[in-house]
Amino acid sequence: MAAEAGVAHGTVFLHFPTQEELLVSAIEAFGLRVAERLHELASKGSGLQSVLEAHVRGLAEHEAFYARLVEESPALPDGARAALVMIQSTLSHHFEQAAEADRAAGRIRDLPLHLVFNTWVALLHHYLVNRELFAPGGSVLERRGTELIDFFISLIGVGAEGRGERE
Amino acid sequence: MKQCIACGMPMEKPADYALGDTSKDYCVHCARPDGSMQSYEEKAASMAAFIVRTQGFDKAAALETARKTMARLPAWRGRG
Repeated sequence: MAAEAGVAHGTVFLHFPTQEELLVSAIEAFGLRVAERLHELASKGSGLQSVLEAHVRGLAEHEAFYARLVEESPALPDGARAALVMIQSTLSHHFEQAAEADRAAGRIRDLPLHLVFNTWVALLHHYLVNRELFAPGGSVLERRGTELIDFFISLIGVGAEGRGERE
Repeated sequence: MKQCIACGMPMEKPADYALGDTSKDYCVHCARPDGSMQSYEEKAASMAAFIVRTQGFDKAAALETARKTMARLPAWRGRG
């Protein structure tokens, strides 16, 4: 890392006294980039579909790093896991606002928010962790992202039949 | 883009800031109704409640995560 950054070996330890500090700082820096990108992309559209599109697009830019983070999260130190939760919190903040708007407009069903959120994250993470099976040698988010978003929205959406009943 | 000193949220537009005041260093979610910044305990409780509501964590685990996160933010550095 020191070679990559073009600094002396010891300089790394001045900024990051422990391995955990380096790890947490790297995840936080990544989280900030994801948060800013999500803010930027999600504000261009409205509704849950736009948030999910922004999520997939933002993560696709750092797919390998994020997938590695997901794979190793159970073994990460507490501070690093907290940083990962905060990345998910950035998403859940936008997710909640969009889901509330969609629910009020009758576009999605009235389901427990945390289960809807966790279902999306579980689906996405399954594809990321097994990306070599779903998109060998390429980006699974670019190849399968739209399919996953469309399926998820259809899962929680109010279908034509449901809308008729409401009316 | 400024980042809230109390929760880390990026603050882009005036509506993201406490009372819409872009000179403040904390966001609308970290402000009390009168515009002052929430205390450490208030923020830890609201952050934990948010994690429980949106991600379904156990309450104690959510509070622990909130404290660990807050300890690294400028407003609360070293606490937790």
